[in-house]
Amino acid sequence: MNSIEFIKKVNEGAIDIVKHTESVLESCKNIDKNYDCFITIAEKSALEQAKEIKKRLSKKEKLPLAGLPVSIKDCISTKGIRTTAGSKILENYIPPYDAEVILKLKKAGAIIIGKTAQDEFGFGTFSTNCAFKIPKNPLDRDHSAGGSSGGAGVITKKADFPHIAIAESTGGSISAPSSFCGVFGLTPSYGLVSRYGLISYADSLDKIGVMAKSTKEIELMLNQISGFDKKDATSLQIKKKFKIKKEFKGMKIGIPKECLKNIDKSVENSFYSAVEKLKKQDIKVEETSFPLSKYVVSAYYVIAVSEASTNLAHLCGMRYGLSDKLEGGFNEFFSKVRTQGFGEEAKRRIILGTYARMAGYREQYYLKAMKVRTLIINDYLKLFKKYSALISPTMPVLSPRFEEIEKLTPLQNYQMDILTVGPNLAGIPMLNVPLETKTLPAGLHILGNYLDEDKLLSLGSVFG
Amino acid sequence: MSERKIIIGLEVHVQLNTKSKIFCSCSTDYNVEPNSHVCEICLGMPGTKPSFNREVFLKAIKAGIALNCKFPSMTFFSRKSYFYPDMSKNFQITQYEIPLSKDGFMIVNSNGKEKKIRIRRMHIEEDPAKLIHESKDISSSKYTLVDYNRAGIPLIEIVTEPDFNSLEEVKDFFGKLTSILEHLGIYDSDKFVMKADVNVNVEGAKRVEVKNVTGIKSIERVINFEVMRQNTMLNQGMILEQETRHFDEAGGTTKKLRTKETEAGYGYIFEPNLVWYDISSELINKIKKQMPELPAERIEKFIKKYKIEKEIAYSLVYVDKNLADFFEECTKSVKDTVFLANFTSTDLLKSLNFEKTKIKNSKINSKNYTELIKMTETGKITPRLAKEIIKQMVKTGKPAKSFLSKGFKVITSVKESDKIIVKIIKSNKKAVEDYTHGNEKALDFLVGISLKESNFKLKPDEIREKLKEILSKNS
Amino acid sequence: MKEDIKKISESSHLILTEEQLDKFTNQISSILDSFKELDELDTKEIEPSFHPTIRKNIFREDKVEKGLSIEEAFANTEHKENNFFKGPRAV
Repeated sequence: MNSIEFIKKVNEGAIDIVKHTESVLESCKNIDKNYDCFITIAEKSALEQAKEIKKRLSKKEKLPLAGLPVSIKDCISTKGIRTTAGSKILENYIPPYDAEVILKLKKAGAIIIGKTAQDEFGFGTFSTNCAFKIPKNPLDRDHSAGGSSGGAGVITKKADFPHIAIAESTGGSISAPSSFCGVFGLTPSYGLVSRYGLISYADSLDKIGVMAKSTKEIELMLNQISGFDKKDATSLQIKKKFKIKKEFKGMKIGIPKECLKNIDKSVENSFYSAVEKLKKQDIKVEETSFPLSKYVVSAYYVIAVSEASTNLAHLCGMRYGLSDKLEGGFNEFFSKVRTQGFGEEAKRRIILGTYARMAGYREQYYLKAMKVRTLIINDYLKLFKKYSALISPTMPVLSPRFEEIEKLTPLQNYQMDILTVGPNLAGIPMLNVPLETKTLPAGLHILGNYLDEDKLLSLGSVFG
Repeated sequence: MSERKIIIGLEVHVQLNTKSKIFCSCSTDYNVEPNSHVCEICLGMPGTKPSFNREVFLKAIKAGIALNCKFPSMTFFSRKSYFYPDMSKNFQITQYEIPLSKDGFMIVNSNGKEKKIRIRRMHIEEDPAKLIHESKDISSSKYTLVDYNRAGIPLIEIVTEPDFNSLEEVKDFFGKLTSILEHLGIYDSDKFVMKADVNVNVEGAKRVEVKNVTGIKSIERVINFEVMRQNTMLNQGMILEQETRHFDEAGGTTKKLRTKETEAGYGYIFEPNLVWYDISSELINKIKKQMPELPAERIEKFIKKYKIEKEIAYSLVYVDKNLADFFEECTKSVKDTVFLANFTSTDLLKSLNFEKTKIKNSKINSKNYTELIKMTETGKITPRLAKEIIKQMVKTGKPAKSFLSKGFKVITSVKESDKIIVKIIKSNKKAVEDYTHGNEKALDFLVGISLKESNFKLKPDEIREKLKEILSKNS
Repeated sequence: MKEDIKKISESSHLILTEEQLDKFTNQISSILDSFKELDELDTKEIEPSFHPTIRKNIFREDKVEKGLSIEEAFANTEHKENNFFKGPRAV
């Protein structure tokens, strides 16, 4: 049963939501045992929520997400439920408030079943930087589930119950795990979903998004979580409802040729099969160019680490999070806590980011990257004047084995994001469509102009 | 004051009197239980985002207009990164590249002449939390106590050019700045104290920055101390480096601070959780039209309308806005505005200071006060008597009449006054002798004690005449 | 470069072992070198994009609202005394 049918049945009173939630939680525990996808399974609060919803339904309330199990990436604040962002420094942190997206989910009757594993603060492409457990690929446990929303990718694929995942992307953290795990993943336009309560990686790049087994479910969830929030000054003041329309007449899609360089053969094959499928819908597909491709990784990472290095400063042992005895001066104390609490990648990015914005280097790195970002955005806008959407493979490779990932240098890690950082930098929406290969899944990446999520989902609906 | 030229520049931090904080809806009233006006935003909890208070923006623009500053067409906020126990986020949201306003000025009094103090920039930022050190001395404390009620209070930072050359100019600047901000209605001096970073050096020494000095009295002490210290060191042939110091309130001295971050270490970035803010000329004009009367205009008006002297008008307006308001209120029911102005700016003010209170919090109201003034106008009481009554009125809040019934009337009966004077002469033989031997001062002495004896019911010049009369008779 | 990395790690309050310092210096050097490719692009007349699309004039009205209770504010730390948060010595 998919989410939409499930919700309908719950609203009709045909499902005992408390019993259902109990069995969902059991499933979660089993899946987690084998695939390490949850940092916290929110058993107590999920059952409380189920009872709440039962009450509301008995009062004849119609709930748009009635009883739907939803998993939440662990960087999104859930009141009363531990929220770690995948980091030891927040191992025991329990937020005293809900993120805006959580408030919306609760209001709509969803049930939060747990917090999914991720790379610490979003720093990674393979979820191997998670301080607690490393999610395993749902199709082969020796391979990565992708990152940073690895846990979300796993549970979305493995759930044997109706489920939609709320995840987050800064440079590709929804697209990568969606591609590696074989599910749909939508990264909405920057500002479409409120970031209030999202533990920041890089505030001008972070977006909350959705992962699910079908485009219809993504459409459902997107319409529930999007919309202006006055607590997030960057959120957009729009009231658009997105609708999948299987009308493709006159649509022209571009394939930037640079995106097909240096990709695995199996990725390439699956991509061209997908292109054929689209052509069968009477969609024109042609080659185009995105010459700034070469620079996207640098531009993205400079901005991301610059902002991230300031965002991680508040974690120092005061008021919440990992702490230590109050001995010594503040320099000693802060250093002890932060050294203990942050993983290696976090430390590396803090140092990189501090470097990129300090006096003497700020012009060359931080401000330069912001200017290059303008060039990149302009190029995308130019292309969208010609094309309804752009497509490429989502990742240049299929999910690698953990041993292979260990051999990568940090720079090689960053370069894995070559196909996802561009649209993330521009804040345009993107959808991963799962594609089959002979082995592990690959992904078709569909990019659209700002607020063209309906076009993306419509195109994606050709596949599922 | 100094054997060498003094050069001073100031960076003044002023807390704006909005109801809620700059980036969250917590109350700005921080004279409450510690940490009782806090939320996840001003506590810097993970995932929170700032939300900019419109009133802060408008009040800051008013200040910029009053300080004759220029405005950019758009402005934004930056993150200034540094670690300290009073920082909720270990970065401060402030303004770096494009301050809210710049290139303004204020006119101060410099030895009777007017002098322009240039204002380099004025920008908006947030206040950090309040620290209380576990032991009195910051360096021997085991830990620090932090109260986040203050975290997120809106500030404007006013940076002057190093245009000050004397302490007097600095004091005038502060008095005027306070008055301007109070007249604008954006600052409450009874709730918040202005803080400043004081940059001071004597010619020949390098600039010394003394950080975080609270209130004009401390600023005065800092300047005096630094000028003396630097002059002394230069006289001893020592070379003075540019450095940062802090003020030790208890000892009244400045001490060198460990080198903290310099501008290089702050790593400024655009605050990505906030947006751009337009400052259109329409907005500026709209605000200008709604600007209340500023001190300079008010002084002009006082001089013209109430015919009072410049110094008196100055005193009324700059010492305390509420006093000027009170004065204007009283002009409605009083004829002699000159006397009213004089009395208000001297005797009333002195009485208030003596009771360590301000007009706003005092027991004086305009009805009782104007009653007293009118009694003096009609001669019912002497000005000298009025001086005494106002002291009592400020102390007790009772109306002037109540003191009259206690026998505070002017003695017009000659017999009574003679009795007093004779008594004084009898009990002050030495003074009488001195006077008869030509010591005029002895006469003043006798006038004085006669006055006291009469409970100020007698007029001094009448006493003097009477004394002279009696004593000359007797000599 | 190594000196820079050392200084930055100190100001970011991260203690690196000598080994880590060397490793980071290598890694960060090559990363920064690759970032330098951005210099190939002419951005003289280009304005920076601090957000994907420009956002302006979002304000909050000056209204007081209830924040966190004392219990909620202090729930995540042991470092507290008489309704004050406790922090390390300020020098």
